[in-house]
Amino acid sequence: MASLFASLTGPKKRKATKGRERSSAHVGFMRHANFRWLKILVLICLVSITSYFWIDVQPRHNGGSWYGYTLGTIGVLIILWLTMLGLRKRAMTAGSWSLKAWTSAHVYLGLSLIFIGTLHTGFQLGWNIHTLAYALMMIVIISGIFGVYLYATLPQKLSSNREEMTETQMIEALRSFDRQLHDAAQPLDPEQASLVQASLEQDPFGGGFFKRITGKYPGCKTRKAIAELRRARTYAPRTDNNPTEKVEQLLERKEDTMWRLRKHLQIKAMLQVWLYVHVPMTFALIAALSAHIISVFFYW
Amino acid sequence: MEYKAGKHYMSFIVRQIALKSDGSEIVRAESHDAAEIFIGRNAENAIHLPDLAVNPVHASVTRSEDGKVHIRSLSDLKFELNGRRRKEGSINPVRGGELRFGGHVIAVGLDDATGAAICTVRRVEALSDSQEDKDQAEIYSLTGKLPSKRLSAWGFVALVLAACLVWPVYTWATWRGVEERPDQFHADTMWSSGKLSLAHQSLKKDCQACHVDAFVSVRDESCLTCHEDDAHEHAPTQRQLTSRGMPEGFEKFKRDVAMTFGKSPGRCVECHTEHEGAGAMQPTAQKFCADCHDGMDTRLTDTKLLNAADFGDAHPQFRPAVMTKPGGKNPPTRRISLDDNPTEDNGLKFPHKLHLSKTGGVAQMGRRLSGEYGFGASLECKDCHTPDNDNVRFQPVDMKENCSMCHSLSFDEIGGTFRQLPHGKPALVHAELRAFFRSTRPNRPINLGSRGNNPRRRPGDVNAQRTASDYARAVRFRPTRAAQAIRAVFSRGGACYDCHGVTQPASRGGLNYGIMPVSQTDRYMHKGWFSHKAHNDETCESCHAATDSSKAADLLLPGIATCRECHGGEASNTDVPSSCAMCHDYHADEGAPWLIRNQDKPKTITGAGDKTISSRQPQKAAPKQEEGNYGRTGG
Repeated sequence: MASLFASLTGPKKRKATKGRERSSAHVGFMRHANFRWLKILVLICLVSITSYFWIDVQPRHNGGSWYGYTLGTIGVLIILWLTMLGLRKRAMTAGSWSLKAWTSAHVYLGLSLIFIGTLHTGFQLGWNIHTLAYALMMIVIISGIFGVYLYATLPQKLSSNREEMTETQMIEALRSFDRQLHDAAQPLDPEQASLVQASLEQDPFGGGFFKRITGKYPGCKTRKAIAELRRARTYAPRTDNNPTEKVEQLLERKEDTMWRLRKHLQIKAMLQVWLYVHVPMTFALIAALSAHIISVFFYW
Repeated sequence: MEYKAGKHYMSFIVRQIALKSDGSEIVRAESHDAAEIFIGRNAENAIHLPDLAVNPVHASVTRSEDGKVHIRSLSDLKFELNGRRRKEGSINPVRGGELRFGGHVIAVGLDDATGAAICTVRRVEALSDSQEDKDQAEIYSLTGKLPSKRLSAWGFVALVLAACLVWPVYTWATWRGVEERPDQFHADTMWSSGKLSLAHQSLKKDCQACHVDAFVSVRDESCLTCHEDDAHEHAPTQRQLTSRGMPEGFEKFKRDVAMTFGKSPGRCVECHTEHEGAGAMQPTAQKFCADCHDGMDTRLTDTKLLNAADFGDAHPQFRPAVMTKPGGKNPPTRRISLDDNPTEDNGLKFPHKLHLSKTGGVAQMGRRLSGEYGFGASLECKDCHTPDNDNVRFQPVDMKENCSMCHSLSFDEIGGTFRQLPHGKPALVHAELRAFFRSTRPNRPINLGSRGNNPRRRPGDVNAQRTASDYARAVRFRPTRAAQAIRAVFSRGGACYDCHGVTQPASRGGLNYGIMPVSQTDRYMHKGWFSHKAHNDETCESCHAATDSSKAADLLLPGIATCRECHGGEASNTDVPSSCAMCHDYHADEGAPWLIRNQDKPKTITGAGDKTISSRQPQKAAPKQEEGNYGRTGG
């Protein structure tokens, strides 16, 4: 996922450059075009806050004044445009309206909605559809901020965790250990064999969302097998060629790989989980916005 | 097919099938001639199943003479025979059958050529979970761990639209045309953009009281359903629109947009915005007044109203309604600008200067009576002027209450009780005086009489007779003294004449003196509101120049300049920034403006307005205020 944004620059048209000027350094979407959209965000904030205090709405600021309607219209247009990222992201293109530029605008314009939306309310909140729309908008924005934070911090962890192993390699490593375990465990007595079998049968990708996001798997059969075998071996007479020893070693190596895999899954889950709030809440927001706008005109 | 006797029943063929990586099969077949073969994980077993779920020696296989294959578990572990879990069972190889141990299946059949039982061993389960085919895109993502984004997105859309749009519209449609909705939850209340003002709390569950038709802005008729009595028309709508003038620039754009969306100008709700929180309604902002009244004469050319836009710098001089002739129930008045120094004859003679002087006879008299009436070193305004019940204006000055302490009408004393001339009734004054002179005798001369030897009597009978006859004449003509007294009372130096204008008798020598009518104005400014209560911290003299007034006709009202010492426009830096609404009301009545009522009664709504005091009906004296620096009646 992290590579999504890293590879967005896509097949750029190379501009004619003088000498060795051409820069190929990656610029993330936050810093795109020398913070162009951050500057636009700051401008929007300044204009909206200044005008809020400048324009005298009687008896007090509210969404129903001409100023309120203006902010509301701007806000809803921005929201609809921001939603279009969901479609836009499926087509990666380059250029000044590249997906990266688009994402940059998405983030900063999204943040500007905090100001536009809040000033639109005139700080008049209550238990009604209008405040519901506002609350949903804030949930979407906050989940988005969380997502940006995760995108900024997690990819590094993800890549340092996997140590250049691809996801295919991870699962292949597990398969290899499983095969070896299967072979090595053949001489074991039924009781111990069943421990190994349990490890083999357990889905390394199993476990619910909670396990995935916390990275804690208390029911891990591999760990259990290691512990049980180790305990059995501790009290068994020492022999030269004890098959359990080999099985144990294999289990430990499998567990190492599982640990890395689970860490990987945890980070990837973190990178995805905010979208499970961001996207459905966006749709809820658009529905609430529709109800908000229709209700205003319905009871005009 | 018949089984041949012999050792055929002791032969087994074990076929191990393995899969190559390209999916093709490799078959290894082995014959075992033994009465019993074993199935198990150990390599020594004839049927070797490299399967951790299988015991080292799991089961034995024998064949009976009738050719049947018998399988028996060697431990408590079961196996599956044709899908059933068993510890023991048999298969007729002619019909065939299937055994399952762990992840392996053993198909049992008969070799036609040799009659041996064929056991075909095949692994049907992957040796571990990870060996199974897995969709990497799926297993590395949260797919399946959480409800899908698409599902929950559309779920939320449906939920929100149903709850917040469909349900309220349904409510609206259900209760349409119903005069008053019952007091219960109605779904459309979730559309409310804010709390209703206090006055409209009773409507908070009845959206349709105001929002009658869908997509139609709230109309005046809805407001007038309840407010037909108190929403006085400020001016005819057409005149208002004319005086407002055609908007230009951005204002025109705003109006055009509003018209496009069906919000025509001049409706109640244009000013009376609702859903602004559960407070009292806000007073009108200055701008709304100035929109029309600023330079109104250029647009509404026939108006008599003067332009006004800001109290501080764009407000005309006050034009109080000055009484032009006292008397009658409603004495005629005329609005005259204070710049024209209007005077007002109220029918009384009253030099304020004389009465408020720190020295002289009035002050001295006041000091003498201070014990009885609480006067100070000299008279003050409050000694004569009594505020009305609301402390807004003043009760009319009353002769008995406010003047008679000094201006006594006593003319006779009987046993310590003073008889007084009746105030306000000239005919009764005549009668009283006549009766007095008719019923009393002149003072009896001290030297009259025959009692013993009066040492004061001048000697001689002549003197005694003269005294007696003088006295007799005095007694006889005493009643005629009444006319003299009446004349005196109504003439210069007389009790009536001192304060009142007196009309002379019609005929020379006649006695039908009359008193000119007296009217006191209780309120000069009917178009604006002024309350003395709000100005308690000021002295009377700071606004009313009473100490310099020698004539009762002086109109002691302060001009706008005096007000502007403290009051400025709504946005001014003066001590009291004052919007129009502080003194004026859009729906004006006799009472205080909404803004003032609101200040006084912040928690209630139904401000009944101030009771106006009729000057003709003396009110019961209001409790005097301690510091009561009251000036002349204002308003």
